[in-house]
Amino acid sequence: MRQRIAELVPSLLAVALALAVSAAVVWLTGSSPLVAFAALLEGAVGSRDSLAEVAVKACPLILTGLAVALSFRAGTWNIGAEGQLLVGALAMAAVAQVGGSMVPRPLALVLGLGAAAAGGALWAAIAAALKLRRGVNEVIATIMLNFIAAALVSYLVQGPLMEQGGRYPQTDALPPEFVLPRLAPYRLHLGVALALLAALVAQFGLFRTRHGFELRAAGLNAVAARLAGIPVERRLFWAFVLSGAFAGLAGGIELSAITRRLYERFSPGWGYTAIAVGLLGRLSPIGVVLAALFFGALDAGSNTMQRTAGVSAVVVYVVHGCVILFLAALERWQRNRSQGT
Amino acid sequence: MPPASDDAVSSTRARATEAPLLAVRGISKRYGRVCALDRVDLDFHGGEVHAIIGENGAGKTTLMRILAGEETADSGDVLLEGQAVALRSPNDARRLGIAMVHQHFALADSMTVVENLALTLTQPGEWRLSRKAIAERVEHWAQATGLQLPPLASPVGELSVGARQRLEILRALIRASRVLILDEPTAVLTPQETEQLFALVRRLRSDGRVVLFISHKLAEVRDLADRVTVLRQGRVVAHAKAPLTDLHELAEAMVGEPQVEWSKPPAQVGEECLRLDGVSTDADAFGTPLRSVSFTVRAGEVFGIAGVDGNGQQELFEVLAGVRPPKSGTLWIRGKSVSPRSPAELLDAGVGLVPPDRRREGLVLEMSVLENFLLHRGTLRRFTRSWGILDWLQARSYARTLVEHYSVRVPDLDSAAATLSGGNQQRLILARELEARPQILVAAHPTRGLDFAATQFVYRTLAGAAQNGAAVVLISTDLEDILTLSDRVAVLYRGQLSPTLIPPIDPLRLGALMSGLEQGTAI
Ligand SMILES: Nc1ncnc2c1ncn2[C@@H]1O[C@H](COP(=O)(O)OP(=O)(O)O)[C@@H](O)[C@H]1O
Ligand SMILES: [Mg+2]
Repeated sequence: MRQRIAELVPSLLAVALALAVSAAVVWLTGSSPLVAFAALLEGAVGSRDSLAEVAVKACPLILTGLAVALSFRAGTWNIGAEGQLLVGALAMAAVAQVGGSMVPRPLALVLGLGAAAAGGALWAAIAAALKLRRGVNEVIATIMLNFIAAALVSYLVQGPLMEQGGRYPQTDALPPEFVLPRLAPYRLHLGVALALLAALVAQFGLFRTRHGFELRAAGLNAVAARLAGIPVERRLFWAFVLSGAFAGLAGGIELSAITRRLYERFSPGWGYTAIAVGLLGRLSPIGVVLAALFFGALDAGSNTMQRTAGVSAVVVYVVHGCVILFLAALERWQRNRSQGT
Repeated sequence: MPPASDDAVSSTRARATEAPLLAVRGISKRYGRVCALDRVDLDFHGGEVHAIIGENGAGKTTLMRILAGEETADSGDVLLEGQAVALRSPNDARRLGIAMVHQHFALADSMTVVENLALTLTQPGEWRLSRKAIAERVEHWAQATGLQLPPLASPVGELSVGARQRLEILRALIRASRVLILDEPTAVLTPQETEQLFALVRRLRSDGRVVLFISHKLAEVRDLADRVTVLRQGRVVAHAKAPLTDLHELAEAMVGEPQVEWSKPPAQVGEECLRLDGVSTDADAFGTPLRSVSFTVRAGEVFGIAGVDGNGQQELFEVLAGVRPPKSGTLWIRGKSVSPRSPAELLDAGVGLVPPDRRREGLVLEMSVLENFLLHRGTLRRFTRSWGILDWLQARSYARTLVEHYSVRVPDLDSAAATLSGGNQQRLILARELEARPQILVAAHPTRGLDFAATQFVYRTLAGAAQNGAAVVLISTDLEDILTLSDRVAVLYRGQLSPTLIPPIDPLRLGALMSGLEQGTAI
């Protein structure tokens, strides 16, 4: 337990430092950091409404953050959560288009979200297969696949999947059967619960099962894992595929619960923020949830901050960037310190 | 132009050797509750090799790190030529001509040999240095020291340990005009490399430097040292001067209790367990391919494979571990031919592995002690319940029993394996492998870097495994390992296995078989 808490220290420190830097930035632009942060906090946790909003914003970050955590744990760098998320949303949109109102709601949701997960998994599997079969660096492959996915969405929403009547480059609104139910009068939806469930499953899988153990061992030291008889390549492949499924699910849920339509700028870069989320969450599923909530709160609060304090919402990107920088620096520093003996 | 230090050498040589060149007074250092050094007083004279010996954890490295400016003492002084000096950083040490070769390498693996040397070869105030100029300086120093260097453009990560160490030594030598510290340098070296190193150290001594030589191998200390200091639990417990006659006394001072001589009981040989028939492997850029290697190992015996490192040991281990499929030849396990494509198949066939590099191949250092006990296919399977769920409770009590049974000293089961000393890491690996009840145990360099007590433990454990009916393959470059444990011995030389020798083994015959190298290519 003490170790668990000790592991939180770098994350908390990174957040504190990042907030300090952004406070300085706010101050330099001539506003009061105090007022700005008060507005940010107000916007994030000031009311039940805003709390629900934080959860909603955190939802895709939890799932893509899990995707990142899972693949990084296996020692592979899936930078492709963005593309996998888009393909997931695309798969769900396509299933909804075909299924229409013929299927009853629970089945429609299972089919749609299943398709989303499968789409993301498939997109990730391409990169994993390229890596294992051809030795293609997965970072490059996944980044390329991100571009391809974006282009694919762009083409489809302007062509085959464009809404009936064809005014905007977007798909038809999902039939109501494919829409995730709300949990409260706010925008809180069932997808948030699904994301939390996914985190619990991932946590259990990683730390309580044999496959999870093998995956972590393979990620930390492939040579030793292989000598212990662990099928390193196979673990790696499935970690990657599962990672893609999480990201795909994120896309499906967002489409189903929030936007209901797929369009070109569907994702504001969740798949990239996910990397910060995963690292800040120290690659642990529970940590990812906490980190996602933090980023969700920043996102939700930034609008209020812009409105009431007059400080540009862009400041939160300073926080994003600084968090990663400080985490990397702290990690380095910690490693150097522990190398005494 | 040869960089640095030549003047410094001659000035120290001119000085009389009566007064100590370097001395420490009342040095203490604590790490939390551990008292690593307790009021240590020592004098080191120029022109002498001063050996510091002691078991793992005795505080040797800590003392050296203080001298090298990498660690600061809680109290006490360091005196250089009678003057107290401030050693607040490695730069201070460098300025004073003190340099250290670390026990664990401190090279950048992905960079090349030249790149690793570049920084050291650059003098203060020098901003640019061409690749060619560096190469020339490396050449100069290699010649001045007589060290054989690997190809300058090869990445350090791909070099053998011996070659990597030569690089480290060269790097330290360039800086060490007064004091050269070698922290357990022979732990990773072959006998030949050790001889080369000793010759070099003797030459350096005659230049008037202080050479601090850390070891726990008494025979080496006897061959090399002018003075010996024994550390135990942070205190100086004994001194000795050359010639060293009673090594036994030193061993007892080191361990703190009387040492009983131990020798392996004779083998009760059973049926054939493992046979290699004309096994050859593909050549790759580094290392030596096996050429038609054949041997048989029977239950209950230890088959020792001696040889100088780099003669195919790594390849042989990899074949026996199932990570390197032979190009030709057959592997028989208890009468069945196997052609493993992964370690899993061999593990299932009853093979246990003690890998050559325990930190890299034997353990996942970041994982806990408990998790490392599970790092074996068979053991994992044993603690897997339905739905693939691991039974941590059972696993924990299993690990606890092993810790006790094999006296692995661990802070607790949840601390990272990295926090264990080398000896305890090896105990962990041995415990894990033996508890999986292998019929064939392949142990490569099992005592590398281990101290006296830990080495004895490894000997007893391996002999015990054989007595319990395992066929033990012992691959080692350490002749003491081979001679202590083996029931039969063969020598690996340039990928070929010599005829089998049976005890009593004439070390000279063994040496002759191993040393075709002296005329050949030493890499
Ligand atoms: N950086 C450190 N942090 C905590 N404990 C340390 C550190 N370095 C050494 N120690 C402890 O100090 C003692 C002496 O260690 P060391 O000098 O490495 O021994 P030796 O080199 O003789 O094997 C050991 O108990 C070791 O665990
Ligand atoms: Mg040491």
